[in-house]
Amino acid sequence: MAERSLLSVSATTLEFGGVSALLDVDFEVESGELLAVIGPNGAGKTSLFNCLNGVYTPRHGSILFEGIELVGKRPARIANLGIARTFQNLALFANLDVIDNLMLGRHHLMKTGLAAGAIWVGRAKREEIANRLICKDIAEFLDLDQFGSTPVGLLPYGIQKRIELGRAMAMEPTLLLLDEPVAGMNLEERNTMTALIQQVRAERDMAILLVEHDVDFVMAIADRVLVLNFGRVIATGTPDVVTVHPEVVAAYLGAG
Amino acid sequence: MSSRADAARVATPSMKLLPDKLTRMMFGLAVLIFLVTPLVLDDDFWMTVLANAGAFAVASIGLSILTGFTGQVSLGHAALLTIGGYTVGYFGADHGWPMWAWMLAAILIGALVGVAIGPFALRLKGNYLVVVTLALVFITGYVVENWTSVTGGFDGKSVNSASLAIGPVDFGELHIFGRDFSREQGIFYLCWIMVALTALVGRNIIRTRPGRAMRAVRDRDVAAEVIGVSNARYKIAAFAISSAMAGLGGALYAISLRFISPSNPAAELFLSIRFVAIIIVGGLGTIYGAVIGALLLGPLPELVQEFAGLFDFTIPIVDRPLVGDSPADNGIFSAASFSEILFGVLLVVFLIFAPEGIAGMIRRLRRRLAGRSNVDPDNVSDN
Amino acid sequence: MEKFFQLFVAAIALGGIYALIALGFVVVYKATGTFNFAQGGFVLLGAYLVYQFGDDWSLPFFVALILAMVVMAGVAAGIERVVIRPMINGPPFTIVLITLGVLLIIEQAVRTLWSEPAYVLTTPWGNGVTEVAGVSIRHVDMWTVGFATLVLGGFFAIFRFTTIGIAMRATAFDQEAAAAQGIKVGRSFSISWAIAGAVAVVAGAMLTSRTGSVLTPGLSFIALRAFPAMIIGGLDSPGGAVAGGVVIGVVEVMALGYLDFDWIGSGFEVVLAYVLMIIVLLWRPNGLFGTRAVQRV
Repeated sequence: MAERSLLSVSATTLEFGGVSALLDVDFEVESGELLAVIGPNGAGKTSLFNCLNGVYTPRHGSILFEGIELVGKRPARIANLGIARTFQNLALFANLDVIDNLMLGRHHLMKTGLAAGAIWVGRAKREEIANRLICKDIAEFLDLDQFGSTPVGLLPYGIQKRIELGRAMAMEPTLLLLDEPVAGMNLEERNTMTALIQQVRAERDMAILLVEHDVDFVMAIADRVLVLNFGRVIATGTPDVVTVHPEVVAAYLGAG
Repeated sequence: MSSRADAARVATPSMKLLPDKLTRMMFGLAVLIFLVTPLVLDDDFWMTVLANAGAFAVASIGLSILTGFTGQVSLGHAALLTIGGYTVGYFGADHGWPMWAWMLAAILIGALVGVAIGPFALRLKGNYLVVVTLALVFITGYVVENWTSVTGGFDGKSVNSASLAIGPVDFGELHIFGRDFSREQGIFYLCWIMVALTALVGRNIIRTRPGRAMRAVRDRDVAAEVIGVSNARYKIAAFAISSAMAGLGGALYAISLRFISPSNPAAELFLSIRFVAIIIVGGLGTIYGAVIGALLLGPLPELVQEFAGLFDFTIPIVDRPLVGDSPADNGIFSAASFSEILFGVLLVVFLIFAPEGIAGMIRRLRRRLAGRSNVDPDNVSDN
Repeated sequence: MEKFFQLFVAAIALGGIYALIALGFVVVYKATGTFNFAQGGFVLLGAYLVYQFGDDWSLPFFVALILAMVVMAGVAAGIERVVIRPMINGPPFTIVLITLGVLLIIEQAVRTLWSEPAYVLTTPWGNGVTEVAGVSIRHVDMWTVGFATLVLGGFFAIFRFTTIGIAMRATAFDQEAAAAQGIKVGRSFSISWAIAGAVAVVAGAMLTSRTGSVLTPGLSFIALRAFPAMIIGGLDSPGGAVAGGVVIGVVEVMALGYLDFDWIGSGFEVVLAYVLMIIVLLWRPNGLFGTRAVQRV
């Protein structure tokens, strides 16, 4: 291949006490594309994200992001390289307001340390205001600016999902990992979220890797689909190719 | 657009120093009381009690940043006060350093000890880390008893000769507008000026990037790490800040008491628990809560001792007074036991029935006063 | 060499006491996930109860011991019910802080209820000594080791074989899941605290009846010295608590026996336990025998 992929995962295996959660997983994500990962429950989708993030360390294999090896790096370091993520079961900072949650997304883009922060006047204040302006724009874009200083833990589920997307956007990533962005949502919330994700893609230059159960949602939004079953990749390809792949059909019918 | 306009556009309560009019008024009132109290209450006992409370407030703000904002429990806080106390004893009294220098030394040595928790903060979680902070109490006690050239060993040491002067102002013998102030009054002013500065520093850290990171670590450590906030770094930072403030508080406390001597590890542990009680009763997640807690609970032992007479009414069935002034009174409680028990009871009762502390009660009261307001102050995120 | 054996016997006995104290912590931690700082207070109160029933009310020692165990079991379970249970679903460190408050209250309550500065506990073993191959072994030490073995064996049997033990393990692992399986979570909590209270009485009695020991409120301080034992062993492992206790006992006694205190200074043996703990933790963050927590996102 002449050009280097944005993310390239090769021969990655993750084990828990001798049981493989991921087995020899290989795939690539190109700049700007939306790759969806689907598979039955327990197929290893979230484990895969946890490996990319550095929450879990794979037993074998290599994960290269823009040519940099991610295996063995701490999650905070990986975030600094430009990988953002949302979580399956929401992981917002429940006692903080919307803006503070978004500001935390910009943590790695800011510089204020203890000394500058303690003094406040000058650099810390300037940086704080500049970044709050950016977060306010994101909040307006996601229709989140109405919630003021309410702790986000008290907001409805669908709103919290949107705040998580906002926090990930605030990180200005080159690769965005979305773990079940529409799970547990009603139809209206789902449509809003689908539109938002497409709008984000249109406005910002980032690749998206997303895990989702909802096959209709995936087929509507993804450039390519990767199917995991029992920790193995059983198919990759465009949505229409994958849906008719015999192993995929078997996995879904078998699981269903 | 001017930067002032930008600031107005993005300011939320969590970013402002004094978020609203009422807070500003209360702050003004507090400053007024601070200035006037020594003039009205010209009494050495009360001045010392209030100065001690100020020293405790400085240390409590530190613990509040560690526990309230970063979610880490420490039982070593008293050890850091001890370290601060000996720092002023050694550099201030023995070596005659000027005030700014021994204060800086107490802050820096405190911070260094806090950073020493670092490797553990990296590897240990929750309860294991708490016991490591307990180790600090034992190790400090051992060092204090045996490093006699610096600490004076079991005999302790006087800190009376430490300089209290900064520039032309000597807090040991203040003259303002032709009026002479006693040493106790001067130390009162000194301690509470330091409370204000510590609170300002604490609030500034909390409202900017490092403080936000600490709150993220407290609320969800793994998620914080995944979005780029290094848990280890901010836990260590919190320990460093908390310990630096405890060092400063300990130095001020020693100055106010004029003398410092070793106490056994159990007593140090109980002092640490008193600090925990102070921040819980005051209210976690606010700086002013720590100050209120220190003001109310800090002087408790001295007050119970002083006013034991109020509690010496006889309990009918056992026919003994509730609190004895002296052992000869045969009280059910000694004054010392009574105040310790009060700390324990207040800690448990607040944790169960009012976990948000007095700061939470104030929030609720304000909500009631605000009446029909749409904003629900009880649901305002911590700041 | 004789000195070594003599010290070794003393070390094992001290280790036995630390193990008994630590076992009380471990049973609560293993069954409920609660780190109970009040255990040191239970040990203190337990020892005073044995004195009250045995020496003050002149009950035979073992009757007094068992009575004290029953009372302490009730007190511990009561404390759990009143101040711990309501906070089970509260913020993570609330319960730890509550146990600290309880420790403060118990310690001062003991000072208040028993106002003399010190008492001497009368025991069947007294100051008896038996010579074995030139090494004199105190009877109290033999009893201590015996009790520690018995308690450890009991824990092992309870956790491994009884339904309530299995229920306790399940509760500690995941309260919600355990409740969903029909396990009475509350009962697991009560029983583990009651056991901790009863074990604390044994620990307190043995600690107080050591040769040269008297009953003072300062005992809870000695209980604090058991922390390194359970941390070294691993918080959730009864066997580890005993191993940790023995390690700390050996280190403390051998340090006292062999080190030159003019140079090292007083109180070094106490600090040594904590220093050892710190080294072990840097090497193995969950202690020697503790289970590693799985990180969940």
